[in-house]
Amino acid sequence: MGNDIITDNKKPSDTWQKVAKWLLIPLLLISFFVFFVYIIPALQRIPAGSETVVINSARLKKDPAYRKQIAQLNRDLQRLSKRYNSYTSGQSYLVINTTDNLFYLYRNKKLVREGHCSTGSFKMLKTEEGRSWIFKTPKGKWTIQGKQTNPVWTRPDWSYVEEGLPIPSMDDPSRYEPNVLGDYKLMLGEGYMIHGTIYKRFLGMPVTHGCVRLNDEDLKAIFNTLSIGSKVYIF
Amino acid sequence: METETANRTPDRKYWLITLFIIILTLIMYYVVMTMLAPSKKMKSLKDEYGFKQDEKNKINDTIFKDSTYLALYRETSFLKARTAMAETDSICLAMNLADSGVTLEISGVAVARTKLIRFTSSKMFHDRNAYFISSMLSRPFTIQRNIASIPKEPLMIKMAPKDTSEYEPDITPDTADYEPVNYIMEMDNGTVVYVYQEEKLNLGDGLHRFFFDLRYRIHDAWRTMKSVFTFRIPDYHPFIKVRLPRADAKIIFRALPEHGQIAVYR
Repeated sequence: MGNDIITDNKKPSDTWQKVAKWLLIPLLLISFFVFFVYIIPALQRIPAGSETVVINSARLKKDPAYRKQIAQLNRDLQRLSKRYNSYTSGQSYLVINTTDNLFYLYRNKKLVREGHCSTGSFKMLKTEEGRSWIFKTPKGKWTIQGKQTNPVWTRPDWSYVEEGLPIPSMDDPSRYEPNVLGDYKLMLGEGYMIHGTIYKRFLGMPVTHGCVRLNDEDLKAIFNTLSIGSKVYIF
Repeated sequence: METETANRTPDRKYWLITLFIIILTLIMYYVVMTMLAPSKKMKSLKDEYGFKQDEKNKINDTIFKDSTYLALYRETSFLKARTAMAETDSICLAMNLADSGVTLEISGVAVARTKLIRFTSSKMFHDRNAYFISSMLSRPFTIQRNIASIPKEPLMIKMAPKDTSEYEPDITPDTADYEPVNYIMEMDNGTVVYVYQEEKLNLGDGLHRFFFDLRYRIHDAWRTMKSVFTFRIPDYHPFIKVRLPRADAKIIFRALPEHGQIAVYR
């Protein structure tokens, strides 16, 4: 009984000490973690030196060397501005946003038409034999290399592979399909085109094999606005 | 028993005090080394981009403190960087911290524009009048490494059917995407650009951003520790942290090439 009483008296302080000991270690670890991960980078943000003191001295402005430097900078600025502005053509150009599947048509540096389009699906088609195709619309600066009305689609190999069909010879009549590319096509090179579609419900979605699909009205407007040599910017 | 306890206590105390002093010394050493890092970076940038006096045609140094000169120099530097990017034919980003404008450009043509919702940056970018900073910004930054919460190209692999019986036409693609858009771009000159989506569209978005940021902080702290404990002043990485609307942040990340370029004006 006597022993029991002694144990009961010690118990609360022992328990608290144990809890404190057990809490101390994780608390220390958390403190170290916060110190190294948050406090040190925050301390590094405290500026070590003073900021540049800006002056506006009238005497300096009269100095011929100063005037020469300012004139040189003004000349550089003008030259660079002129050069930079020359990059944006006054001619018509098309901008394609492949993330949101939108297009923007510009004429004389002004937006004249915008709307939905369909671009590459980012699917990679693989065969057991090891052949593969990636269906993505290439980004960057492209040039219209050719224009055609009532285009006929020449089915490439992947179109057969995708449907589980045997690949026919290159001059096989089954390769040629009219009325699937809409009324017009504009060639960008490397097999990529801007054309119409029979799958209009998919416009605004990434579903193509790399080409840019448009609805009939937008395609007509773009076909009539862009000429061979016009730029297409895809991002 | 009592004698043993009495002998052990001073020993334990001694060891605890020694351990405490060692840890404190290490922490002090760590703090000093890490605090030296920004100055070291600043010095190396000044050496690389600061004005070098031509012994034959000496220029009065005060010119680099003149407000007109500095304003013109800042403009020229930004244009120089943008012109250099325009000549690469690649997709680039122009970030104007002064007017919070961000422009995606291809060969000098602005193809997309957005506004920074907010941004913070290292102190060295705050000193917009420092000649060497403007000089550094006259060259575009090149991305060395991307760390992102979304893939650059969301490729999906599809195995070709063996015959027509296996062929299933594509159903409407699932265009709803929920992943938060946060990414970090490490630049060739040591600067780190953080782009985080502003909106918290889903419950977990804030938490995701916190852990995404934390992961990079741990990686950075580890890099610093390795340098400090091998007796080297760690590399300091000046940073620019920006918040953008989610849709724009995604467009920019997907559009920029793996080693794309960024021009900064501040």
